[in-house]
Amino acid sequence: MNNVFLKYPCLLLLLLGGLLSACTPENGSGLSGQLLFQDQPLATAQLEIYLKADKDRSVQPFAVTTTDAEGRYQVSLPEGSYFVIGKKRETTDDGRTRMLMAESPANPHQVADRIAPVASFNLREMGREGLPVADEKTGVAGLITYQGEPVSRSFIYIYTETDAGLIGPSYGEAVQADQNGRFTINLPVGRYSLVARKRADGSRSGALSPGDLNAAYPGNPVEIRSGEILALNTFALTRVDAEVHALRQAEGVFTKTETLLRGQVVDADDLPVSDVYVFAYLDSRMVGKPVHMSVPTGADGSFSLFLSDGGTYYIGARSAFGGPLEPGEWVGTFDGQADHSVTVTRGANDDLGTIIVKEFW
Amino acid sequence: MRFFLLIALTFFFTTPAAALVVDQDTVWDGQHSFSEDVQVLAGATLTVLPGSQLHFSGARLEVSGRLVAEGAEFSGENWEGLRLKGVDNTTRITDCVIKGAATGVFVLGGGPQLEGMILSANKVGMEVRGKAAGKVTRCRFTGNLKVGLFIKDDSTTSVVDCRFEGNLRYGVYLYHARPQMFQGNQFVNNDTGLMIAYHGTDPEVLDNRFEENTIAVQVDRAARPVLRGNLLLGNQTGFYIYRRSDPLLTGNRIEENGVGLLIAYSSYPEVESNDFMSNEIAVKLEFQSSSWEAKRGADARAGETSARSAFAGQGMRSVSEEDRRAKRLDGMVNAGDNWWGREGTLELASIGPDGNPSFIHDGRDQTTFVDEGEEYPLDKVAHSPWRKDPATEIER
Repeated sequence: MNNVFLKYPCLLLLLLGGLLSACTPENGSGLSGQLLFQDQPLATAQLEIYLKADKDRSVQPFAVTTTDAEGRYQVSLPEGSYFVIGKKRETTDDGRTRMLMAESPANPHQVADRIAPVASFNLREMGREGLPVADEKTGVAGLITYQGEPVSRSFIYIYTETDAGLIGPSYGEAVQADQNGRFTINLPVGRYSLVARKRADGSRSGALSPGDLNAAYPGNPVEIRSGEILALNTFALTRVDAEVHALRQAEGVFTKTETLLRGQVVDADDLPVSDVYVFAYLDSRMVGKPVHMSVPTGADGSFSLFLSDGGTYYIGARSAFGGPLEPGEWVGTFDGQADHSVTVTRGANDDLGTIIVKEFW
Repeated sequence: MRFFLLIALTFFFTTPAAALVVDQDTVWDGQHSFSEDVQVLAGATLTVLPGSQLHFSGARLEVSGRLVAEGAEFSGENWEGLRLKGVDNTTRITDCVIKGAATGVFVLGGGPQLEGMILSANKVGMEVRGKAAGKVTRCRFTGNLKVGLFIKDDSTTSVVDCRFEGNLRYGVYLYHARPQMFQGNQFVNNDTGLMIAYHGTDPEVLDNRFEENTIAVQVDRAARPVLRGNLLLGNQTGFYIYRRSDPLLTGNRIEENGVGLLIAYSSYPEVESNDFMSNEIAVKLEFQSSSWEAKRGADARAGETSARSAFAGQGMRSVSEEDRRAKRLDGMVNAGDNWWGREGTLELASIGPDGNPSFIHDGRDQTTFVDEGEEYPLDKVAHSPWRKDPATEIER
C-alpha cells in the first residue's frame, strides 16, 4: 500500500480529505463519469469507490470524490477492479430529508493505464428498506405465463438502467409472482425495464441454466405515471435453450482471442485434475469477477486461457466460480511468481506449465 | 382435463440416442444408452420402469420436471449423474442403483423422495444443496471416492436408516446444513463416518451406529451439533471434536474405540450421560488449552483463513470471533455424570474426584505443550461426579 501512495500521492490526499478531484495523477489512470437523478445531472453527490462487491463491503470506501455542477466526476486510481456507488443526502423543497443512491450497473470497473469511462447512471430515492419509495396507487401489474399457462412463483426484476443488458444484480427490485402467476409492484413514477425469470431450483438469483424460464417484457421500457397501476399485457416467458446457452457461454469471459495462456492443472502428486476453471485477474488481490476464465479442464488437466490483451494478469484456479470456497473444491494459484502474476504480450501463446491445486475440506 | 401423451419406449437391446429433451410424459423400459445430456423439462414426467438399465457416456440426466424411477440402474463412463433441479416430493427414486458418476445424484433445491437406492463408486454419491428438503431413506452409499452424501447450503433433507460403508473420505459431510432428521443410520469402515463442519451446522444426530471407521464423527470449525443416543464401536477415534467446536454429547455409548473422545484446539463440548466402555483411552486432550485460546486463538484462526484462501480474501464463509468465543475459559473440559465402565468406576472410587484416571489423557498426564516456542498448559477433564451405572440402554 505504501508503494501505491508513493506512485499516487494524491490518493493519500483523497483518502484523508476527498480532494483528489483537484489534483493531477502522474499517469492518469482512474474512472470518470456522470451521476444523474431523474435523468438530470446531479451536483455535489458523493461517489464512493470500493474494492469489493456489495455483499462483502464492510470497510470504508477505498476512495471518495464529489460530483461537480454538471454531475461529473473523475477519480484517479491505481490499476485494479473497482465497485462504484453514488450517494447524495439532501433536503427537498418541502423540508423532507431523502437519500439518493445507486450502484453503477456495470460494476465492477477495470482500471488499467488510462481514465476509463463509467456510463452515466441514475441515483434512486431510497426507502426505509433500501427500495425505491413508492405509493400504493402507483406501479405495474401483470400475469406471467409460459406456453399460455400461468407460471407460479417466478421473479420479476425491475431495472432502472439498461447498460448492463438487463442481467445481473443491478436491478432495483425483485418481486415474486403469486401461485397464479400474478404480480403487482408499487413503483415510483418513472421508466422501468422489466424482466421475469423462473429458475428450476426456485432461486431468486444466479446464472440461468438450460430449462429455466426467462424473458424481458417486450414493451420495455414501461412508463409509470402517478396514481396509475399500469396493467401489462400477458408477460410470456420462454425456455432457456441448451444450444443458445452453450453459445453464450462461449462468449463473454470465455471468448477465444489471439492471446493465450495454456498449461495443466495438477494435484500435489502431479496427477491431472479435471473440471477446474483457470481465472485471470487484473487486480493482484484476485477478488471480484475475473476478467477472463477458461472452460473447465479436461481429463488431462489441460487448460487454455484466452486474454483480450497483453499485460500483467494474476492467475488462480478453482472448481467453481463465484461464491465462497466450499469443502471439496480444488483450489490453487499460479506460483511462477510469488504474487501469482504473469506478464503476457499481445498475441502470445505462452505455456504457464502446471498449476498445483489442493482439495479444500 | 389436460391430456398427457404417454410414450412407452420398450427396448430389449441397447439403443444409442443423441441429445434428448423430454417435454411430455414419457415411460422408459429396457436398456438405453445416451452420449448426450437428457433433460426432463418442467411439466413433464419421466417414468423409468423396474429392470431398466440406463447407460450414459459423458452425459447426465437432468430433471426439472418429475422423475419416477423404481428398480432401475443408472451407470456409465465419465458421466455426470442425475441432476434434480427444484423437483418436488412427487419425484421418487426407489430401489435404483447409481454408479460410476461424478456425482451420483445432485439435488438442487426442491424436495425429492429418495428411497432404497444404492450409490456406489461415484466420486460423490449424492450432493444436496440449494435449501433442499426431501428425504433420503434406506439408501446405501458404498465405495464412493470422496463423499457418500454431501449436504450443504441450508438444506434440511432428512437422512434416515441409511448405510454408509467404505467411502474413501467421508460417509456424510454436513456443511452449513441441518437435516430435519438424521437418525438410524449406519456408518461402517469409512475414513471419516460423519463430518459436521463449520459454524451454523447444528443438526441433531440421533441413534446412529458407527463401527470400524478411522474417525466415527468429526465436529470441526465451530459446528455445534447435538449428538445423542449413538453407538460408537471399534473405531480408531470415536468422537473427534476439533477447532473451537462445542457440541453436546449425551446419551451415547462409546465402546472399544482406540480413543473414545478426542478433543483438540480450543473445543469445549458438553459431555454428559454417556457410557465410555473398554476404550484404549476414553478421553484425550490434544493441543487444548484455555490459555492458548485466550492468547492465540483468534489470531491463529485469522491466519489460517488467510493461508487457506483461494485468492486472498475469497475464502470460506467466515464466522465472527464473537460467534466463536468460548463461554468460559477456565482450563477445564466438562465431562461429569458419565459412566466410565465397571473398571473405570472402580478406579475412580479408588483415586477419588481429584485423582488422575488412567483412561483420561489430559493436563494431569502432560502438563504443557509447545506452540511457536511457547509453552501452554494442557486443559484438564472434569470427570467428577461420575455415574455408578450405565446411562444408556443402547445395544451393540
